[in-house]
Formats: sequence, C-alpha cells, structure tokens
Amino acid sequence: MIWHITRRELYDNLNSLRFALTTMLLLALMLTNAIGHLREHPKRMQKYNDAVSESMTRMASHTDDSLYKLAQEGPGKLYKKPSSLYFCAAGGDPVLPDTIEGGSPFGYSEHLRGVWKLKYPDANINMKRVGPDVTKLDWAFVIGYVLSLIALLFTFDAISGERERGTLRLMFANSVPRHIVLIGKFLGALISVSIPFTLAVLINLLLISTSNAVHLNTEAWGRLGIIFLIALLYMCLFLALGLLVSARAQRSAVSLVILLLIWITVVVFMPSTLASIASEFSPPMSSEPFWKRRNQIQEELWQKYSRWVWSGKVDKETLTGKSEFFIQDAEAEERLNQERLTEKVAQVQHARAITRISPATLLQHLLESFAGTGFERHLQFVENTHRYARQFREFVADTDRSDPESLHIIGVREGMTKKKILPEAVPKFEDTLSLSKDFNTRATELLLLVLFVMVLLSGSYLAFVRVEV
Amino acid sequence: MLLTLIRRELLDNLMTFRFAAAVFITLLLVVANTVVLLKDYEQRLTAYNTATQESYQRLREEKTYSYYIGKLVAHRPPNPLSIFNLGLDKQVGNKINVYHGFVPTIWDAEKHRSDNPFLNLFTSIDIALVFQGILSLLALIFAYDALAGERERGTLRLVLTHPIRRGYILFAKYISAMLCLLVPLLISLLLSIVLLTTSTTIFLSTNDFLRLGGIVLTSLLYVSLFYLIGMWISAMTRRTSTALMLCMFVWGFLVLVYPNLILTAVEITPQPDTQASAYNQIKQMWEEFDRENKQLLRNDPVLGPLSRDGEGWGFYVEGGEYTFGMSEDKPSILLYFFQTGFYAGKIGAESEPQVPRLQNYYRFYNRETVNTVQRTWLVREPALEAIYIHPANLGRTLLKFSPAGLYDAATEAWAGTNLEDIQDFFNAVQRYRRAVLDYFDDEKIFESRQWFAADHGTADWDALPQFSFQRSGVDVNAKRALPDLFLLLMTNLILFTVIFLIFVRSEV
Repeated sequence: MIWHITRRELYDNLNSLRFALTTMLLLALMLTNAIGHLREHPKRMQKYNDAVSESMTRMASHTDDSLYKLAQEGPGKLYKKPSSLYFCAAGGDPVLPDTIEGGSPFGYSEHLRGVWKLKYPDANINMKRVGPDVTKLDWAFVIGYVLSLIALLFTFDAISGERERGTLRLMFANSVPRHIVLIGKFLGALISVSIPFTLAVLINLLLISTSNAVHLNTEAWGRLGIIFLIALLYMCLFLALGLLVSARAQRSAVSLVILLLIWITVVVFMPSTLASIASEFSPPMSSEPFWKRRNQIQEELWQKYSRWVWSGKVDKETLTGKSEFFIQDAEAEERLNQERLTEKVAQVQHARAITRISPATLLQHLLESFAGTGFERHLQFVENTHRYARQFREFVADTDRSDPESLHIIGVREGMTKKKILPEAVPKFEDTLSLSKDFNTRATELLLLVLFVMVLLSGSYLAFVRVEV
Repeated sequence: MLLTLIRRELLDNLMTFRFAAAVFITLLLVVANTVVLLKDYEQRLTAYNTATQESYQRLREEKTYSYYIGKLVAHRPPNPLSIFNLGLDKQVGNKINVYHGFVPTIWDAEKHRSDNPFLNLFTSIDIALVFQGILSLLALIFAYDALAGERERGTLRLVLTHPIRRGYILFAKYISAMLCLLVPLLISLLLSIVLLTTSTTIFLSTNDFLRLGGIVLTSLLYVSLFYLIGMWISAMTRRTSTALMLCMFVWGFLVLVYPNLILTAVEITPQPDTQASAYNQIKQMWEEFDRENKQLLRNDPVLGPLSRDGEGWGFYVEGGEYTFGMSEDKPSILLYFFQTGFYAGKIGAESEPQVPRLQNYYRFYNRETVNTVQRTWLVREPALEAIYIHPANLGRTLLKFSPAGLYDAATEAWAGTNLEDIQDFFNAVQRYRRAVLDYFDDEKIFESRQWFAADHGTADWDALPQFSFQRSGVDVNAKRALPDLFLLLMTNLILFTVIFLIFVRSEV
C-alpha cells in the first residue's frame, strides 16, 4: 500500500512544473559549481605547491649550512594543504589563514638571534577585494539554501492541498492507515526531490572526476558519499517540516507562508545573527595583558641569564646558559601564542555551538568537516603543525646526539654538531586528515541532525493522525 | 469606486495570517540584527577613537621629521549608516599611512586591531539584506493570487460585471498591497532607529535622515517591483498553485541563486600579466632612482666617503644614533618603495661642517623621491584600476540584472558605504598627503636640519596641516543612487504596462 501511495505521489510530482524547474535549477547550479572548481582548483594547488617548494628550498639552504642553522631558523612557513573537495564547502577558508609560521627567531641584537617558534597569523578578511560580497557557490550553498527551499516547495501542499481539493477525505474513506499515507507521501516527496538532486550531483562529479585538473582519491570518494548521505538527511528534515506544517495548516497558502518564514529565519538569518549574538556573550579579549605577561617573562629570563647571554666566551657553562635562555624564551612565547589562540578559538567554538540549533548550520559544519575545509579543519591543521614542531625538535636533538663530538647544546653554534646533514633526512611537514577522526568529532552534530529529523517526523505523524478532515 | 476597491483589497490583505506572521518575523529579524550591528559599530568606533589617539601621541613622540611613517596616519571612521547597508565599510582597511614614499590607496590601508579576527567567520547581516530577503518574498506572497485567485474563485467575473475600468482594478490592488507592505517596512525601520537613538555613540544628523528616506524610497520601489513580478505571473497563469510555484522559483532565482551563480560562472579576475608588467615598471623606476642616488653619493667629495658602503643608509655623523630603511615590496598591490634615513640626537662639533651638505643632499633625495612616486603613480593608478576596480565594477553590473543587486547597490549608495564613497575617503587622504608635502616644501622641511637631527629645535607637529574628512553630502549620495533607482523605476513601469495589457486583453 505504501508503494502504491508513493508511486501516485511520484507520478504527480514528476509531471509537475516544480519538478521541471527544480531539475533545471539544480543542474545549472551544480554545473556552475563544477566549472568554477575546475577553474580555481589548479590555481590553488599551484599556489600551494609553489609556496611549499619555496619553503623547502629555504630549509635546504639551512641544512646546507649546519644543524645549528636548522635549529635556529626552524622549518619555515607551514602551509595548509587545500582540499580537493573544496567545491563541497568553501567554509571559512577565505577568512582563515592558510599558513603557520615556524621560524622567525627573535633577534635580540644584530649578532644574537634566538631559536624558532610557532607563530599563528590572525584570520583576516581579504582587504584588497573591493568587489561585491557574495556567498561561494558550493555544495553547502546548493544543499543548505536551495535544496531545503525545494524540499519545502514539494511538501507544503502535500496534505493541506489534498484537504483543499477534498481528496484527503476520499483517501481516508478507504481503509488505509494514516501513517501509511504519511510515509507514502514522505517517500514520494523524498524520491522526487532526490531524482533531480542526484542527477545534478552525478553530472557535477562526472565533470570534476573526468578532468585532469582535480584528482579525487578513494578517501575523497568516501567523503563524497558521506556528504551525499548528509544531504539526503538534511533534505528529509525539511520534507518532514513541510509535512508537519502542511498537516496543521488549513490552507496550502498559509502553510507555505509559515514554511517560508521558518526557512528564512532558520537558514538565512540564524547562522550569522545567532553566532554574532553568541560571540558577544563571551568575555572580550584584549591583547594588553598578553603583551604585559610576555614582557614580564622576558624580563625574568633576562635577569636570570643575562650574564651568559652577552658573554663572548665559548665555555660550556656560557653556552648552556645561552641555549637555555633562547629555548626558554622561545618556549614562553610559543606557549603564550598558543594560549591566546586557544582563547580565540574557544570564543568561536562557543558561538558555533550555539548556532547548532539551526539545521542549516549543522549541515554547514558537517559538510565543512567532511570536505576538509573550514574552521575544524583549521584546528586540525594547527594540531598537525604542533605535532610536526615536536617531531622537528626531536630530529634536531637526535641528530645532535648521534655525533659524539658535539657538546649537545641546542641553539648555539659552538654547542652543536658540525656534521653535514642531508636535506632528505629532515622530516617533512605533512598536513594530513583522517576520515575516522572527522567522523568522531562530527558524531554529535550528525546525531543532532538525525534527532531533528526524528522529532519532525514524529511531529508530523502526530499532527497527521489528529487531522480532522 | 476606486476607494471602495482599495478598501476591500486592504482589508483582504491586512486581516490575513500571512501578513501578521510576516510583520512579526521582519520585526524580529530587524531588531536582532540592529542590536548585533549596533554593537559591532560601537566596537569599530572605539577602535577608531583609540587608534586616532594613539597615532596622535606617537607622532608627537618623534623629534625629527624623517621618521614619520606609521605615525602620521589617517583613520577612516565607521559609517553609522553601515547598520542599514554594510557595503564595504567593514571590509576595507581603515587606517592609512601618510608618507611621501607612496600615494595612499584603498589597498595600502590596514585595519584597526580587533580582539578576535576569527569572528569574521560569521557574516554580518544588515537591514537592507533583511528587507531584500523578506519584503520581496512577502510581496510575491501578496501578489501570486491577486488575479489568478480571483479568477479561480470566480470573483473576478463578478467584479468585472460592474462598470469599472479594468485598469482601476489593477491599480486598486497595487495600491492596497503597497500600503500593506509599507507597514512592516516602516515599523521595522522605526524600531531600528529607536534602538539607534538609545545608543549614545550614534548620532544621526538631518542628512542621515534624508539618506534613510532614500533607503525607504528604494525599498518601496524594490518591493513594488517584486509585487509586479508576482502580479505578472498571476495574470499569466490560470491556477494559483502554478502561480505560487512560479513565484517561489522566480524569487529563489533572483534573490538567492542568481547573485551567487553569476559571479562564479563569469570569471572576472583580470590577467596577471598587466600586474607583473606594471610592477616591473614601477620597480625599475625606483631602481633607476636608486642608481642616481648612489652615483651622487659616490661622487660627492664630502658625503661619499662617509656613507656606509656608499649605500646611502644614513651617514656617519658624530652623534648619529640609528639609521633606518623604510621599504615596502608588495607585488600584488604594486607597492614598491624604499627610503633611508638616520636620526641624530645631537650632532657633534666634528661633523658640524657636513650638516649643510647633508641638508642639501636630503633636499635632492626627498624631492626626487616625491618625483619618483609621482612617476610610478602614473603607472600604478591605471594598473590598480584594471586589476581591482574594473572587475569589481563588472561584478556589480552583472549583479544588477537581478532586482536584488539593484536594491543592494542603491541602498549602499544612499548609506554611503559603496566603493565610490570609500574612494572619496582615500582621495581625501591623497589630497591631505599633497597638503603635507606642500607644507614640507613651503617650510623647507625636506632640507631642514630637523629632518634628521633633534638638536636645533625639533619637529613641530602641531603646525602640520590636520586631516579631516567629511562624508559626501546627501546630494552626492542621491546622485550615486539615482541610476539604480531609475532602473528600478523603469522596470516597475514596464512591468505595470505589461500587466495592464495582459489583463485588459485577458478573457475571464
């Protein structure tokens, strides 16, 4: 019986104007998305590769010099690898920095330089751009805005329309359980929206995968599969919402108005307005105390070590003093930088957590994570650089330790090995992503989305069961 | 008769649930966003005030003239009307150095410090955007069954049996719907203005209220355009459900999809070649100047041997404390310059004979710098225009094919947050730089002893011309908004005529 109703709904929809319009709209959007990605992605990769190779060349010149130079200058700039799934969700990538500086030793004087530390550049909007401000046309936009609107347009009259035409009474006259009718309607709408959407997605992926410009590996396909499933889930949410309101409203026009107002609030305004309001509640931060603490720590270190730092002697005690000073100073600054970053991140996380009551934000977060872009990805990148920094320091220490002639004092030229090091031996920074990890961090949001769907579905069931014809 | 019709339509529209719901949502969103934007504006204003104070003090700490870069700064105040349309007000830099080594442009500007730049992840929604989304939707919802609905219910036939001109019916429907749509528009604007007046930091002048009037006018034309689109669809279709579906897709396309689609589809980034060639040209000019400068130093009997390695990095002068080099090299914005100088607290008696020579040298060096900047500017200005301004304007023009784009552009112009108004500020900074250079010229500061030494009197910063910037007047705003307004009006008229023709000739 379900299939009977589903089939009837499906036939109804397939012949309708909205189906034709939906197909056209989704196809146009997805085609543009693919073309835009194919045009931009090679440029992005080129930029990334150039930057990485430049960074490598710099590091190679340090390794040619000595291990000391390497320990002092550090690995140089570390770059965030652009995701090949950028077309799914651009996320906040234009706003987020794509590099972390692992270098820039502090110059105490012309001849005295400390050792490297990690430095986090601030997120910044591109001030050079004076063009109009528009949302990036990615899958997140197509699914989040357009598909949700379409889902509502397919369901707003599902029940109220039948009531208006009087066919609902007819249907109830048959001995069909109401929930069967509801499920049939739901499935019918789901399939009829899925058809154009799947078609558009397939054409989009066909274009992208056949081109040489973008290479998608197995993991990327797995991620795409998950994204597709999330999109279906999100669509279900709006279909259920449409059915719920449709069952409650007496007329389909009223039902549509309510749905549209809900849609515009939840999808368009909530994500940004709520986030802005939420971030107001977090305590404002200022950089003054940060700099004060930094100066204080530096002052203390100076007092403790100054007698060695300015000394020209090369005995072991002086060298150790110098080395300790450099390392502790760099460590202190790195720690402060990190604390400040954590503070900023916490504020953003807080705001992001609150906006999760809007399904559109949930979708955005999920898509960003699985596409490997956006804020969570940025945090992953930061974590990767931390791991690499440890690895790099260990490498320097180990290499030094392997030379028995060295004094094993890191950070001063006289205290470190003079042996040549091969550039290949230095660990390379790898900006990796793991699907299982993304899945684990996003589990809450995924569950929340499922929960929304369940609540709305049962809501529409209850509403429908109590419908008076 | 017309009045009766209007009254009937008004009652029909006003007493509906959709109207109440729409008014409620509009108010809610406008109030929420006004609060957010107001807070944001206050923060930007505080940042502006602190930065202005800071640079005022920092400039006065300098004793010599030559080291004034980064201390003589022009700050762009936030625009209070940015709450209504944010435009470029927040996006573009608001702090710009005034220096003789380069001509200040939008791209050289920096931003005031903000506590957490990561918050830029969350986009801001201004009131124009709320109106753009909601009022257009509301207009369509009012319009879709205006004709098709009456036709379906058969009431159209009834009305037409009366001796009324068909044009009157259309007109009555149009007027009453517009009156209804005015309600949420005016109430929400009023509410946001009330909210603004509770803040002590915002002061709206008479001119600002005139600008707001312009925004209301534009909003009206925009809403009317969407109402007419809806009516057109309604006149063309036989059934309300078809009309509704078409309306929704038209709305989705015009407001939601088109602006994002078109800018992704059409590639408007310029060729990188122009950038590279212009940059190289500029660099060459500076290098040529550098060669000339070094030549002069090398051949100078007095200064030559004194300058360090003949590089012109300041001079060895008894009492010289530090030397400095100011340079920028940013190929992406075609900015390239370098300046050198030094600071002497008190010039020793030994070096005293060289001082006139030094002053003479700096006269040459600074004058030539200004000339070189002028020469490079002739290359840089058109190149910047080609790289940044033209694509931006092309993008805006493309957006104007949708009423949403037109509305955005017109309200931006009224609020004074569009590109032209931002450029006004930077033009004012350029004029100010000119004024400072003229002052330096007139007072012979470039060749003065205070340029590098602080012993015979220090720099008198208070005598320097002061920077001031007035936002352009309402007339200028109006002039800038007029083309878009005119376009909106024309589309309105054309649509109305089309609907009239269709309706008159349609069979009931």
